[in-house]
Amino acid sequence: MDALIVLFITGLAGLFIGMVKKPHLNLLVTIVGLTIAFLIQLNNGRYISPFANYQVLEFNIAQLYFSLLAILFTLLIVIGGFVYFKRDPNHTGDYYGLLLFSLCGAICLIGFTDLFMFFLGLEILSIPIYVMVGIKKQDILSAEASVKYFFTGAFATAILLFGIALLYGATGSFNLNEIRLAIQSGEYQTTYLFIGILFMLGAFLFKVGAVPFHFWGPDVYQGAPEIVTAFMATVVKLSALFAFFKLFNGTFQELSGFWIGALYFAISLSLIVGYLGALKQTKFKRLLAYSSISNTGYALFALLSDDKSSLGSLWIFLVGYGCATIALLTVSMIIDNEKDEVSAFKGVGFKNPFIGFILIISLLSLAGIPPLTGFFGKFSLLLNAYPKHLYLVILALISSAIGAFLYLRLITLILTKENETQKVSVHSLHYIVLGICAIGILGAWGIVAI
Amino acid sequence: MELLIVPLVFGVISLMLSGKWSKILGAIGALTSLCLAIMHLVKFNPLSQVILAESTKKMAFGLTFNIGYDALGMVMILLTNAIIPIILLSNWNRELANNKLFTALLFFMQFGLLGVFTAQDGIIFYIFWEFTLLPIFLILYWFGAKENNKVLFKFFIYTLVGSLAMLLSLIDLGNAARSFAYVDLRNVQLTQEVACWIMSGFLLAFAIKIPLFPFHTWQPATYTSSPMAGTMLLSALMLKMALFGMMKWMLPLTYEGIETMKWPIIILGSIGIVYGAIVAIKQNDIKTLFAFASISHLGLIAAGIMLFDKVAWSGAIIQIINHSLISVGLFLAADIIEKQSGTRNLNQLGGIAKLAPRFGFWFAVMVFAALSVPFSAGFIGEFILIKELFSLHSIVGITAASSLVLGAVYMLRSYQLSMFGAPKINSFNDLTWNEITVFVLLTISILVIGLFSSSILEFIEPTFKVLTTELKSSQQIIE
Repeated sequence: MDALIVLFITGLAGLFIGMVKKPHLNLLVTIVGLTIAFLIQLNNGRYISPFANYQVLEFNIAQLYFSLLAILFTLLIVIGGFVYFKRDPNHTGDYYGLLLFSLCGAICLIGFTDLFMFFLGLEILSIPIYVMVGIKKQDILSAEASVKYFFTGAFATAILLFGIALLYGATGSFNLNEIRLAIQSGEYQTTYLFIGILFMLGAFLFKVGAVPFHFWGPDVYQGAPEIVTAFMATVVKLSALFAFFKLFNGTFQELSGFWIGALYFAISLSLIVGYLGALKQTKFKRLLAYSSISNTGYALFALLSDDKSSLGSLWIFLVGYGCATIALLTVSMIIDNEKDEVSAFKGVGFKNPFIGFILIISLLSLAGIPPLTGFFGKFSLLLNAYPKHLYLVILALISSAIGAFLYLRLITLILTKENETQKVSVHSLHYIVLGICAIGILGAWGIVAI
Repeated sequence: MELLIVPLVFGVISLMLSGKWSKILGAIGALTSLCLAIMHLVKFNPLSQVILAESTKKMAFGLTFNIGYDALGMVMILLTNAIIPIILLSNWNRELANNKLFTALLFFMQFGLLGVFTAQDGIIFYIFWEFTLLPIFLILYWFGAKENNKVLFKFFIYTLVGSLAMLLSLIDLGNAARSFAYVDLRNVQLTQEVACWIMSGFLLAFAIKIPLFPFHTWQPATYTSSPMAGTMLLSALMLKMALFGMMKWMLPLTYEGIETMKWPIIILGSIGIVYGAIVAIKQNDIKTLFAFASISHLGLIAAGIMLFDKVAWSGAIIQIINHSLISVGLFLAADIIEKQSGTRNLNQLGGIAKLAPRFGFWFAVMVFAALSVPFSAGFIGEFILIKELFSLHSIVGITAASSLVLGAVYMLRSYQLSMFGAPKINSFNDLTWNEITVFVLLTISILVIGLFSSSILEFIEPTFKVLTTELKSSQQIIE
């Protein structure tokens, strides 16, 4: 809760500092705010907070891990995006403010114990993003993405709200524990509850971008600036997945027989459609959007297992996925890929070996090649789901092979020698971001050993 | 542990220093590893098992960090560390030797191979198995023929699909054992049906790498489009990973399914023996010819391994070493021919023996070694394997033995067409000192192994006895 307040104040401060057009000061304040929030979350429970008896948000060990990850990703995105923000001094403050407000929403979405807070969190998370997607006003793609995301997103939210209302009607409570108790004791209205759960499932699949509600993904990812794409692909996905896990694997666990079929459908399609769709793309962010659909399919494996340890697997998976995505998009910013072409990456490995190395490990990690974090994430998710959902595991392995083909093509592109090699220069802030991402991608052994 | 770290360190160093150092670094690194392997050999007691690193506690998901070797692992380590210097030596006068990327990748490759041969944990094995794919892919991509992307992707996807099937098998076994340590995996009791499924998962990975008959389609094109060093690495070391995997992992872990799986694989192996040889007879491209010859030779070894019997396995191990040595020699010869005359096509070659008598002699030695003449290592290995296959069923034995006759046809044809007759090419520089050294070293090793094979067999027998024993102590059962 304290971290949330710090983040909110930092966001406000960012907006105001934006008015005086001092990007360095803006960056400094934001970094300090995020670091303080990170440290507060890290020390959560070791000191007495004045808001300790605030019931609607609750931070246990799992919530803490996920919120730390969300703050860390935002920090990376803010630092990595600095060069981009600076270019557009009129909007620098807006970016910082909106990113941090959205992060507040993400943290509410991670810590909620109440459907009311859940809905608030989701809205706080989404509304700044609608704005940020469309922030490049002159760009027609950006405007299209914003409108598309807003309309579909609003529709999904309405469905979700309807689902929550039905849930309240069926069980008589907004509180997760009470809903769970009502479900366990059988005191609920069957029809309303089931329709409510289905509606919520649909809205969630929309938010995490899984098939069959994935159509907004490629367009929005392509239209948004790289930083916003990175934010959507990591922080938004992370918090939505965590909320998804908490509701479905926690509260609705007893009814898994009812919703698991729909989830099966969504996962199996996501795994295949994402990578197949990515194969023919020539735009980089579009390709990344499709590959993130498949990665969502993997992440949803966590919901299938009744074992609570699958949350840990999900976390490892998200570390690998998030670091790799941020690294890829940062590099796309570094090489100044204005037109967003995949072919712009040609020969980058020789123009700057450091970037080349980061790109290769990111892609290999996404492809699930050991010993990178991506492999351990996928491996542990599959291991959790293994004996019960054999066919889905086999499907996941097949899709992994398609994905490997996709990423390998990118790798060969990066490693193609070109005759004229003009060096790519890297801002020192980008070195920091890429370095941290590399630690995340390579550091799986550390996580596994603990 | 230094066995694994030395190649890694040298790989990183050569990546950092400029290209003019890589020759020296390559020589020092490869020889250091070889010396280390020999030192390990001197200390090694064939009856024991050496542990290089062991994790004290179990990590998440039942992973353990166990690395060590038994006599089989020792033999494979020695083979790897001996072949790598030879590959470097045969490249000594070529451009590649001065390329820091190549030297680094070769060392990373060595690191991966040593990891595969020393892993004592299923997932560690898998990790190293996959790791080896990256350096070899990059070697083929950077230094191979131009426009070979299609071939490379085929190779990569084939092997990756195989490995994923193996991962599924490992997950299944590990799930039952609640651990991935080799000892625990071995203790899992399986029903016959489950064992068959698990074995097929492993087999897909290994059959693609070996390659067994219907899974071989990636191989000839990949060999042809690779640089010499890449072909040598593939045929001399990477394929042996699969045979090692069959002996160390697949059969000891899932022998319950052997009765069902034995015949299909042996039949596939036998088809491969005849098919590879017959196709090789009709080839005009000398590298493709050797690639198909390799399918034929390895089919025999794979069939022998499937007998799950320590005598057949001792034939297999001799043949594995022999095939590594011979393929290095043959591909070096093929590359010399290509480099000097500009073509690999047998119809455009001829009379080289007159222009380059020393090359003619040493190529002949290699050809005869490939024909398994008596006193060469191949004679012992093939003899044991064919004898064991014959005792299984006479038809299998006869098919396997046909490889000797057919082998003579394609080997002698390639030699005759390229070396004898009227010279069709104008100039052919004879061997340089490093190439002669390679051929001499290979010949000596082949002869030594052929003459003193009994000591190798004694060395490795206790391990094979353990691996082929159908002994499972605990009572875990998968339904």
